[in-house]
Amino acid sequence: MKNRFILALLVLSLAGGFAPVSAETAPTAREAWIMHFDGDWKNASGLPEKAMLIGLQGLANRTAPRLYIAHAPDFPWEITVPLADFYTRKHGVKFTELKTADEALTLFAASAKGYVVWDTAVMPTLNVAYTIAGLEDAIVVTPALIPLAERHGLKRIDDLRGRYDGMTDTQIYADAKTRYFARCNPDMIMLMGGHAGDMRIPGIADWGVRQRMFFHDLSGNPAHKDEVALAMELYGAMNPGAFVFGWHSYVKDTEEQHTTLTSTFGLRMDGLQSLPNHSFNSQFTFTPGFKFQNQHHVDRDTKLVAEKKVYLAFVQSDGIGLGVWTKPGRGKLQLAWGAIPSWLEFAPAALEYFQESATPADYFIGGLSGPSYMYPNHIPADRFDGLMREAVRQMEVLDERIFEILDNSAADGNVGNADLTKETVDRYYAAFPNVIGFINGYGPARTFDLRNGVPMISYDYYIDPRRPREEVAADLQELITINRNRPYFCLVHVRESNDVNSLVEVTKQLHGPIEIVPVDTFMKLAASNQTYRTRYQLPTDPKHFEGFRRE
Amino acid sequence: MIAGGLLALGLATAAMAANPALAGRWRYEPTLSTALDGWHKMDLVIALEGTKVAVTHDMLWIRSKVVATNTYDTARAVEAKDYFRVEQRHMAVYPAKGGVTTATAAWIDGDRVLRTEAFTPVEVSQGNVTMRITSEYRVSETGDTLTVIELHSTRNRPLVYVFKKVPAEAAKN
Repeated sequence: MKNRFILALLVLSLAGGFAPVSAETAPTAREAWIMHFDGDWKNASGLPEKAMLIGLQGLANRTAPRLYIAHAPDFPWEITVPLADFYTRKHGVKFTELKTADEALTLFAASAKGYVVWDTAVMPTLNVAYTIAGLEDAIVVTPALIPLAERHGLKRIDDLRGRYDGMTDTQIYADAKTRYFARCNPDMIMLMGGHAGDMRIPGIADWGVRQRMFFHDLSGNPAHKDEVALAMELYGAMNPGAFVFGWHSYVKDTEEQHTTLTSTFGLRMDGLQSLPNHSFNSQFTFTPGFKFQNQHHVDRDTKLVAEKKVYLAFVQSDGIGLGVWTKPGRGKLQLAWGAIPSWLEFAPAALEYFQESATPADYFIGGLSGPSYMYPNHIPADRFDGLMREAVRQMEVLDERIFEILDNSAADGNVGNADLTKETVDRYYAAFPNVIGFINGYGPARTFDLRNGVPMISYDYYIDPRRPREEVAADLQELITINRNRPYFCLVHVRESNDVNSLVEVTKQLHGPIEIVPVDTFMKLAASNQTYRTRYQLPTDPKHFEGFRRE
Repeated sequence: MIAGGLLALGLATAAMAANPALAGRWRYEPTLSTALDGWHKMDLVIALEGTKVAVTHDMLWIRSKVVATNTYDTARAVEAKDYFRVEQRHMAVYPAKGGVTTATAAWIDGDRVLRTEAFTPVEVSQGNVTMRITSEYRVSETGDTLTVIELHSTRNRPLVYVFKKVPAEAAKN
């Protein structure tokens, strides 16, 4: 398995043209171009031009990092502007702004061999067009953009208008599979879902085009039998350890259903569909001499003794770069952050940026569940150890000592059963001999364990950003009351869009023998006195979804 | 002791008509209520028959619907294996597996208000404990608003849920 996994990474490097530029060997000054996008992603207005430009970005960045996109302040990934500044400061990138699509094509049309026309009335044709774009070096255009493309000397490579009229998504993607899949990257596939209806945000399409991925938005909802069957054919044909980039379709299935599906094949989910600039970010390494140094509060072999108190620790594990990192308040509360480990390969400068901008209150943890986002109860047994070896390697590079696990396959959204079977817990303890603790859950969960001084603690509370702060304080106070033994270890998950300042106000409303501690200190304290009950997922626990059966 | 007192109270009121205005379907009004957590919608369907009061919770979370009925008796304490508690579902507080809830009910304040009290076993990270939930169901003078005040033995801040009456015709749909 180990050899197969290394082979997969090697193939990934060769097949995808994955060749990061080392800052040590790169020139001190590098020229690149930047476009500033507004927030209009409507199919009828802003999407067609943005879709074209993002695809063009993938081609422009095929051999060197040339084109970067900075997004509006309300874009889900809020780091695009600070990260551009980081490239300027640390990698000597001199950005020149491109203000129009015409300017972008003037500069980069030579990266393309032609254009593919997609049909705004049949939205899956955008995904098929992106697949063709990667294979044929094309940009994707709507009919209205054809004159612009042709003014820049681009010829028609394909025209999807009419080809898929009246067909189901299954029929469309089955046809695309027949035509293109064999030529696509076997180590990466693009799940270009997300919004439906009158808007799309295909922010990661540049990466899919650059890496010649097959694009789709097939469903993982068991009610959509034909789509699930085709998705399983695609996923089953990927190489071991392959990546599923993008995100599920918000109207077809749930995050839980689709992540269960990808995990069933041992594939690595790396979201979101809106994630920008991977084609640019992947071509940088760390700056010379840079090494991750997490701000540990306890040594690995430290033994602490918990007092008769309530210990609270806060964790934010949604994609770092989403939400609160760039907002005021960070640093006022001890907060652990789930760094996205695959960015070691695909966006190392972004990870360095987070490390550089961390306050003394910020602490990084590993996860989620593996080297990418996965549901471990469903990972095939013969894939588990190889995947986790990669996760262990990532944690060593990132100087992380706590690993976070989430399996929402049986949950209902972020409530319900998020527990791990004993078999899964056994596997984690065997695979991660050097961690000082495991975290489980997203919403609350009840998997707890303590083995050889290493606790596994589930979240006792999830802070919904929409919940009034006085109710959050009352909820936490109720947990403190109802868990009456001391010490009580209360691990809290902070949704990424929560405002840190408001969390500080919540903590001020709590009363009793309470201490807020960093999560590594929390784990060492939890190791000293097991007042939590060892528990795993039981066969009789309610399950919202049982999972998929591979044929 | 408390149960005995409530039992006596229940026997005394059993022969009397309960507040009939409580019966019917009531719809949770979020702007007037404590926020639900882990639920998007809540209807209560209340049926009165003699000394029995059936409170059905018709709950919705995303696309998941949960319908559960707690039946109280103002004449005696009842035991229930599947007592439904309006959980704040982002808290790690779960119904205890195999737990039996003891509940009592009484008409108070001149039979205008229904008061229930449940001792329900819950599972938390430290094990199983019992939570007492005391609720009052108060119907407005105009009969179109129901206020349910819920107090937990473990929570100083009461939960106040306000409901609007669903007209009988609409409730059939």
